[in-house]
Amino acid sequence: MLLLFRKDVRILRRSPALLGALLAYPVVIAVLVGLVAGYASSKPRVAFVDRDHIPPVVKVGGRTFHVQRIIDRVASNVTLVRLGPAEARRQLSSGKVVATITVPPGFVSKLASTVQTPSLVLRTGSGGLTPVVTEQAQALVYQLNRKLQDAFVRADLRYVRLIENGGSATLLGNHYDVLGLDRMRALLDSLPPSQRVAKMKQFVAFARFALGETGSALRATANPIGLEHPVTKGRSWVLSAQVQAYGIAVTVTFLALLLAAGAAAAEKDEGTIGRLGRGLVSLGQIVWAKVALAAAAGLALGATIAVVFGLVVEAGGVTGGEPWPRLPLLLAGVLLAAGAVGAGGVLLGALSREARTASLIAVLVVLPVVFLGLVPKAVAAPAAWISDALPFVHAVRFFGSALYDTSPWRTVGIEAAWLAGIGLVLGGLARAGMKRLAA
Amino acid sequence: MSDGVLLRAAGVARRYGDLEALAPTDLALHAGETVALVGPNGAGKSTLLSILAGALQPSSGRVEGGARVGWVPQRPAHYARLSARENLELFGRLEGVAEPGAAAARLLERFSLPPDKPSGDLSVGNRQRLNVALSLLGDPHVLLLDEPTASLDPGQRRRVWEVVNGVRGEGGAVCFATQNVEEVGEHSDRVLVLQDGRVVYAGEPSGYAEVAEEAFR
Repeated sequence: MLLLFRKDVRILRRSPALLGALLAYPVVIAVLVGLVAGYASSKPRVAFVDRDHIPPVVKVGGRTFHVQRIIDRVASNVTLVRLGPAEARRQLSSGKVVATITVPPGFVSKLASTVQTPSLVLRTGSGGLTPVVTEQAQALVYQLNRKLQDAFVRADLRYVRLIENGGSATLLGNHYDVLGLDRMRALLDSLPPSQRVAKMKQFVAFARFALGETGSALRATANPIGLEHPVTKGRSWVLSAQVQAYGIAVTVTFLALLLAAGAAAAEKDEGTIGRLGRGLVSLGQIVWAKVALAAAAGLALGATIAVVFGLVVEAGGVTGGEPWPRLPLLLAGVLLAAGAVGAGGVLLGALSREARTASLIAVLVVLPVVFLGLVPKAVAAPAAWISDALPFVHAVRFFGSALYDTSPWRTVGIEAAWLAGIGLVLGGLARAGMKRLAA
Repeated sequence: MSDGVLLRAAGVARRYGDLEALAPTDLALHAGETVALVGPNGAGKSTLLSILAGALQPSSGRVEGGARVGWVPQRPAHYARLSARENLELFGRLEGVAEPGAAAARLLERFSLPPDKPSGDLSVGNRQRLNVALSLLGDPHVLLLDEPTASLDPGQRRRVWEVVNGVRGEGGAVCFATQNVEEVGEHSDRVLVLQDGRVVYAGEPSGYAEVAEEAFR
């Protein structure tokens, strides 16, 4: 097996154009996948239907709101497109927008009253993005509520102050003249002392104290838990742990699959499978020699990418830096993942029986394998199940955990077992395929 | 094995699904003899040689004999990006040759092969000679050749036959497939004519021509 492995390495080194393409192609694909994934996950298109004809400026609780500015600020995770009701319905059914948010008639007047809760109406399609869009719409309403809550608290406090201080007010269209606790206290002071007057004074004092705390209580009710968000120097998107794990997994998967498929089919192309199969080496040894080639090449590429990532992270002074002590664990995962993918590559090479066909089929196979691994389980569960049976997603989890989990051993152990199991199954199938190739 | 038989095929057959590439066939190769396999394309010659060489498993029947076997497949079988020397050394090691470097050097000289040029860049004739050289790495007692001279010029053919006849001269056995009538007459002791996967003639070279003509028609 070692002789075959060394022979394959020598042949690979003598094919610089092929080697260059094998290294460059997956890196380019990884970058493109990253860009597409980043774009796709950040900006779904959502229709905004204004059936209430919201004016540019709305007054709520005595505060002025510039509607468009607020919408722009809170809708940063979606692209809001203003559409009429009919057009929004049409675009939702055709999939041009993933959801519609409708402002029903009377929305602003209900909002301005500060005593009724108006509703926005969210309609989504039935596609896989529905849960994601629903979450983003909920986040949008949450953000709007946060902007409005101060105005609502202020409006509520105005009524509280009215009870405290007295005065005139209009509520739901009716005019009231309110005595107020302060004026009531003065009134009670002017009365001759008695047990009943004393009890009323005690009530007024207690009510005054309790209403004095209302402002804080209302703010606490509106915001039971606050979130402080001091800006620190964190990882930028392209340097995120997830991207690093995906980047290495995509490139190693591409390289290992194509290389192993091509190397296996080349034995048929060059007619050497028959010469080797005459008892010089077993078919199993041929399979594992190709798996070893894929694993070694994957290791070299994975190590290079990890080191380059690390240097960029260090040079950028990113918080936390690159976890260099975890590099050996990461590379052990890369070796295992490349071997498992390589076994699949040998299977493809054996089934396609010709190196060029094998390479083409490997490219056709590797893209869905990678994209299946990128589909969240919440969006399409069957995609996740299929992906679980393939090495890519386990490689991603292994790499991510090896690099950034505080205690990675459990995850790494589980994913290593998956990779080894998948590799053995694919290797067994590849051996059966090689028998067919040799015939 | 008795009666000087170095290699024996007993009822070997090969099917590919519904297609019978080789009907059950018996063939014994004796020490010091050369057997020619004659027949049109698709007659089963390559299949029979591949089974005898151990490169193809028969669907039924078996191959007996412990002699070392050298095999020259119809299409050159070596690594195009390795040189002739590297191919010979690699297969020498895989064959278990004691000194693969020395064995490779001997064969390079014997077949006048350029040692360090990638074998994919060699001429068709040189590639075929390398193909023959590879079959001699294990000092075989039985040599199986599938149209070994089809792409060689007359001088190269002569040199290949010198080597092949050398194996027979040392007490070995040779079995070769050919469509060349002259080679059958000059180099074979026995002829098998195959047609549609079946042996339609087995005997002296002097009597095969009429059957072969019918088979090729």
